[in-house]
Amino acid sequence: MPRVDTPVSREASAAWLDEFEAAARRPLKTRVRYAFIKTYRPVLDDESFRAFDTMADYRRWCEAELPDWLGYGRV
Amino acid sequence: MAAFEYRQAEEIRDVFARHAVRYLFIGKSGAILLGFPDTTQDAHLFVERTPDNGHAMVAALRELGFDLSSQHAEEIRRGKDFIQLKNGPFDLDLVFAPDGIERFEDAWRRRIDVEGFPVCHLDDIIASKVAANRVKDRESLPRLQSFREYWLRERS
Repeated sequence: MPRVDTPVSREASAAWLDEFEAAARRPLKTRVRYAFIKTYRPVLDDESFRAFDTMADYRRWCEAELPDWLGYGRV
Repeated sequence: MAAFEYRQAEEIRDVFARHAVRYLFIGKSGAILLGFPDTTQDAHLFVERTPDNGHAMVAALRELGFDLSSQHAEEIRRGKDFIQLKNGPFDLDLVFAPDGIERFEDAWRRRIDVEGFPVCHLDDIIASKVAANRVKDRESLPRLQSFREYWLRERS
């Protein structure tokens, strides 16, 4: 499986493990309730329907039209 | 538009099952169903691109309350690679050709059933994020890869 190798501190790994274990104790319904949020995203949320012939078209549109801070640009 | 709710995930599951739509939850919404504690805005579905499935998908979306014009419906039936829907009771992204996954059938074979929700295997979710290589993916991947190790350990 492809990986992105980014150094992770031992403290971060331990904190994540705590979070994973805590999540596993919650029922699915609760996990979903806390996971899905809604905030306005400029441009992206301004049309009710968009369709792209190819993923490459979609990626190009994201890079050209969306603010960088939304994080949709490619690395 | 309010945040996506559990009952809406149930509606997708139940209505799509009635229409025999072949799809998988993918992306962070899929990872969340698998237990990954994080936040996201939209539900993302990997949809099999076949004529029958396209017709079933359009019928199911209309039953869920999505306001699809004849042109929108045609684009879904044709299975354009990526479709954003914000014209229904919740926001939904349909992905017919996610980066990093060769064929729907392969992902379907590896799928995980979570209380009736068909979800891409975590390896496929990670593969698609690695291939997409967006800034937001790069930021979330270390934690998601760490969750994979935990998740596989718990499943063994």
